[in-house]
Amino acid sequence: MEEKSTTASAIISFAENLEDSSARFYRELADRFGNDRETFSSFANESEKNKLLVTRTYQETITDALEACFSFKGLDQSRYLTSTDLTPDAGYSTALKTAIELEDKASEFYFCVAEMSRSLLATIPRAFKTVAERRRNRKSVLKALLDKVSQK
Amino acid sequence: MAILEEPIKQVLALRNYIGGEWVESKGESVDVVNPATCKVIAKVPMSTRDEVDAAVKAAQEAFPDWRRTPPLARVRCLFRLKELMEERFEELSRIQTMEHGKTIDESRGETRRGIENVEVATGIPSLMMGYNLEDIAAGIDEYLIRQPLGVFGIIGPFNFPFMVPLWFAPYAVATGNTIVVKPSSEDPISQVKIAEMVEEAGFPPGVWNIVHGGRTVVSEMLDHPDIKGICFVGSTPVGKNVVYKKCGETGKRVIAQCGAKNYLLVMPDADLEKTIAASLTSFFGNAGQRCLSGANLVVVGEGLGEREHDDLHRKVSDALVNAASKVRVGYGLDKSVQMGPLRDQGKKERVTGFIDIGVTEGAKLRLDGRDVHLVGDWPHTCFLNPTVFEEVTPDMTIAREEIFGPVACIMKARSFDEAVDMIHGSPYGNAASIFTRSGKLAREFQYRVQCGNIGINIGIVAPMAFFPFSGMKNSFFGDLHGQGQEAIRFFTESKVVIQRWF
Repeated sequence: MEEKSTTASAIISFAENLEDSSARFYRELADRFGNDRETFSSFANESEKNKLLVTRTYQETITDALEACFSFKGLDQSRYLTSTDLTPDAGYSTALKTAIELEDKASEFYFCVAEMSRSLLATIPRAFKTVAERRRNRKSVLKALLDKVSQK
Repeated sequence: MAILEEPIKQVLALRNYIGGEWVESKGESVDVVNPATCKVIAKVPMSTRDEVDAAVKAAQEAFPDWRRTPPLARVRCLFRLKELMEERFEELSRIQTMEHGKTIDESRGETRRGIENVEVATGIPSLMMGYNLEDIAAGIDEYLIRQPLGVFGIIGPFNFPFMVPLWFAPYAVATGNTIVVKPSSEDPISQVKIAEMVEEAGFPPGVWNIVHGGRTVVSEMLDHPDIKGICFVGSTPVGKNVVYKKCGETGKRVIAQCGAKNYLLVMPDADLEKTIAASLTSFFGNAGQRCLSGANLVVVGEGLGEREHDDLHRKVSDALVNAASKVRVGYGLDKSVQMGPLRDQGKKERVTGFIDIGVTEGAKLRLDGRDVHLVGDWPHTCFLNPTVFEEVTPDMTIAREEIFGPVACIMKARSFDEAVDMIHGSPYGNAASIFTRSGKLAREFQYRVQCGNIGINIGIVAPMAFFPFSGMKNSFFGDLHGQGQEAIRFFTESKVVIQRWF
């Protein structure tokens, strides 16, 4: 099979969309599940910051990617997609499981692109890694919330 | 993949920016066409001589106050301009794709490179400083100060509509000069957007002016007695025979950065995978419409027997053809696209003309870009796919003349010396690159090759804003270059003061 070569802008768009949809998703959770509103709101705010960080890093270093003839070879974005549409009757634990899946795939995506872009200026993999770690941390928080629900 | 939203929704009627006012031109208008969609996106006026004169007058009138403005106050305008460019980064980039055709990644790269020049010019309070020495004789000190000259003219090319005028403009105004910019009439919108930001950034009226047009405008700028210097980027015939000559006659300073025919040498010890990746960007980036684009790739057989040399040549050639055949061509606002169209149909026809000549003269056409296949359903009018020739010899037209399109010519040289002779056989001297693991050869290459920009394992030798954009032979006419310290010297007069107090 022919190896896919993905442009830098396509990857950045994917990351931006990922953060946008994550922010929307967590705002919805904050509205629906008031007990943990603060946590979900902070995740939504963080996603907005993530988007800013990724976009800014890309815009400031795009010339490096171009001059290094860089592309994300072989990266299949579809592997990292999670549907965040919750049905109106979805319960709290369903929502948390969806969130955990989202964070799992998102952190995997960011770790992957951080690794792939290691040959570029340090700011690029560093930004991806920062976001990857933030999202991995969220997963731990979400898991703890899910454990609490399960114990009840 | 979906097309990014186009920032230009209706046909723009472009106006000149003179003395801080947006002024309608009396000249007739011509269409600015998006080369990917073939839709008209703007009407640009062909301004008259009187309008150029009005712009120069406005710049001349603004000069005395602007030069007296403290450097720190001048660069505050540049800081604000930079901020506005950052805020509008995406819009500016998409406009470049719409008016020129380059991919969105390339446009964003161009926007960044343009902004970097504004950033470097904000260092003027330090960069413009002179120097001094006490006691050159008893009680006598001597010092040098740099002073602005007055009005400068900047004539932009079509291939980098946003960035190239910024190789000069920020340095010119930061040092206290005033400017008249003539954007390329083929893609003038980016410079209009810059002028809008200049206005918003609070530059005083007349410091930064824009006059649209063609030959008449250039001719008037070259003749005008109140323009102290010209910065030009364009073709060698115009740069050498018109701009440089005329500036000599009228006593103007001049930077004329012109055509090129850039060589890439591939040595037997080169990292082939990385070399091919770099060559791909070099030959086909910006659809080959770059004065730094690779033109001739020379597979050098230094130290190899004939058969080994043939094997290396075959390997390089096959790898380049294979990679080039996979380049996704289409509308640059599609993020998956890797190469956009040529700027217009005439430019495409010029390139296809060269492909025909290559075939006629006996070069082997390994990949024919005339067989157009695109990502998306766009008119083929301005599109070509990558073309690769092999068995190209130095006497062939395609090896000698600047094609300015996505065409790679693969050649062979038995030795390093023969390859260097090939480079020196070209009348141009813009850029040359070597791909090797040998420091000794790389040093030799850098030492001997008569080109202004040398790449060592680099495909596109684009100097950063704090280095001059160099060039030699028929690629450059003038003394000092654009960007960095050289630009500051170009835009200032050195005045020496010898002082004694009784």
